[in-house]
Amino acid sequence: MGQTVILGVIGSDAHVVGITIIEQALTAAGFDVENLGVQTSKAEFVSAAEDHDAGAVLVSSLYGHARQDCQGLHEQLADAECDPVTFIGGNLAVGQNDWSETERYFRELGFDRVFDAETDPSAIVSALERDLDMTATETERVRVNS
Amino acid sequence: MLRDERLSGEQLRETAAELREQWPTGADAGFEDAIEFHESLPETKCFADVLESADAPLLQPRAGVPRLDDQIELLQYLEQEGGADLLPTTIDSYTRDNEYEKAQQGLDNARDSGEDTLNGFPAVNHGVEACRDMIRAVDAPVEVRHGTPDARLLAILTLAGGFQSFEGGPISYNIPYTKEHDLAETIEHWQFVDRLCGAYTERGVRINREPFGPLTGTLVPPSIAIAVMVVEGLLAATQGVRSLTLGYGQVGNVVQDVAALRALRELGEDYLPNDVVVTTVFHEWMGGFPPDEARANGVIGLGGATAALGKPDKVITKSPQEFQGVPTREANASGLRTTRQLIDMMIEQDIVIDGIDEEQEIIERTARSLIETVFSHGDGDVAQGTVAAFESGALDVPFAPSDSANAAVLPARDDDGRVRILEWGDLAVPDEIVEVHEARLDERARTEGRSRSFRMVADDVDAISDGKLIGRPGTGDPDPGAGAADGLAGGETDAD
Repeated sequence: MGQTVILGVIGSDAHVVGITIIEQALTAAGFDVENLGVQTSKAEFVSAAEDHDAGAVLVSSLYGHARQDCQGLHEQLADAECDPVTFIGGNLAVGQNDWSETERYFRELGFDRVFDAETDPSAIVSALERDLDMTATETERVRVNS
Repeated sequence: MLRDERLSGEQLRETAAELREQWPTGADAGFEDAIEFHESLPETKCFADVLESADAPLLQPRAGVPRLDDQIELLQYLEQEGGADLLPTTIDSYTRDNEYEKAQQGLDNARDSGEDTLNGFPAVNHGVEACRDMIRAVDAPVEVRHGTPDARLLAILTLAGGFQSFEGGPISYNIPYTKEHDLAETIEHWQFVDRLCGAYTERGVRINREPFGPLTGTLVPPSIAIAVMVVEGLLAATQGVRSLTLGYGQVGNVVQDVAALRALRELGEDYLPNDVVVTTVFHEWMGGFPPDEARANGVIGLGGATAALGKPDKVITKSPQEFQGVPTREANASGLRTTRQLIDMMIEQDIVIDGIDEEQEIIERTARSLIETVFSHGDGDVAQGTVAAFESGALDVPFAPSDSANAAVLPARDDDGRVRILEWGDLAVPDEIVEVHEARLDERARTEGRSRSFRMVADDVDAISDGKLIGRPGTGDPDPGAGAADGLAGGETDAD
């Protein structure tokens, strides 16, 4: 596939098990994965996306602070002239919340897909396969047109 | 140079004075004034005495919300409606990361919006007087529960605020909780915390310390958890801590859990100095929970039943809403009551289970080997030995996010659901123990008709939330889907 997937847990969160398993699944599926690990700042996501010309940025958060942590991430990506597919997954709000509302919130922040904590790694692999292929095609189309 | 030696009074005072200037609330955290406040508290709020004199496991939930009034109401509710014997205050994750500005922003958001925008109580931002208001407003003793590698300022403020128990330790709050904090530096930071607790202890205020037993909370082999508990206990004892509660997180196999609780107590009493009172705490399942409250109650019930058999001094309960994170107060109280029901129905029964002694023997031999490797790595100095043993991988924790650990060790369940070690890295374990684990895992592999691989680990991580204990192939996810399952299969373990 040739496009690097950036993976990390955002903010002050140290929940590592989920991204460890997702890294395994993505690597086994043939993706080039750059795992930034836990406690990754927005700036670190952006510079990794820039350095690797990333096809996708996958943000994980399990501790509830994702709203505060993700403010401005997409603007910073745009400022760095990066346009990766962005996913977020995990427990994305503190406490017992309405998932459809949480999902809408993160879609409005700019995430292409929003996953809950029960998501099977296979769902992420297949979504990524779809989205990255689509992105590649669009890029080619742009090149052809210009 | 890092050494397992007691900090001097002068070092303690100087460091405390510097730390108190890091955030405005530090100014109010005077030691003499704090001693006076603790002396004014009734015996029922003296954490160590209440815990050590109990004749059945005491129950304690986790609980922390950003605003003070809400936190007080929550604790009162858990006392009255949940029957909590001991209370917690769980600290938010920005404070754990020493990000007091972000915690302030979260607290301001919470005050503006009326929503709980932080996952805990930002005690540093609230300050000493707010903590005291909370301590005054409840009947039970209260512990600070967190996950902070550098908890020095938090300790200064909360102990001055009247808390009498402080969770954590240099390994258990570094290895599972941070990527970048250096282990040697974290040990120095906890020497300060433990010395501060020691200073209170010398003045008659015996602060209870509780190393965090579950570590990464996911299939942690009991021997590794127990070794870490003993090492942290030794480091704390050096600094003058005299009330220590060693922890262990439920793995879900009843025989192994009861054996581990017994081994934990045995080794704690064996290795720690005689003037330290050692108690134990059992954490109900710390891994992923079922996304269904009824099934989650089953997990909690098994925790209560195991506690009735293993008889720890304390149980940290879970709520049926664990799946989605911070629970409502009602769900939190229900986790306490479910646990209580199981313990009270079972604790007087004389239930004999085969195999506990043998399992305990395996756990103790493995844990002793890990503890001894710390001693030898440091030429007898536990602090240096800890750093060196993690560096060499002789001591290691599965799924550790910290750069200070190799995280080469990988666990998997055997055919009976006991947690064994699939990948050893450089863990200092005798060959005959390795053979036992390998044989048990081979047995499972034969049962399942597949080879031992990371796939088993991934399946086991999801098994309890999927409704089982062991991640058998093809029985887990009701909708297994294609792709990832195949993608994971066959890959040799390479978790890090």
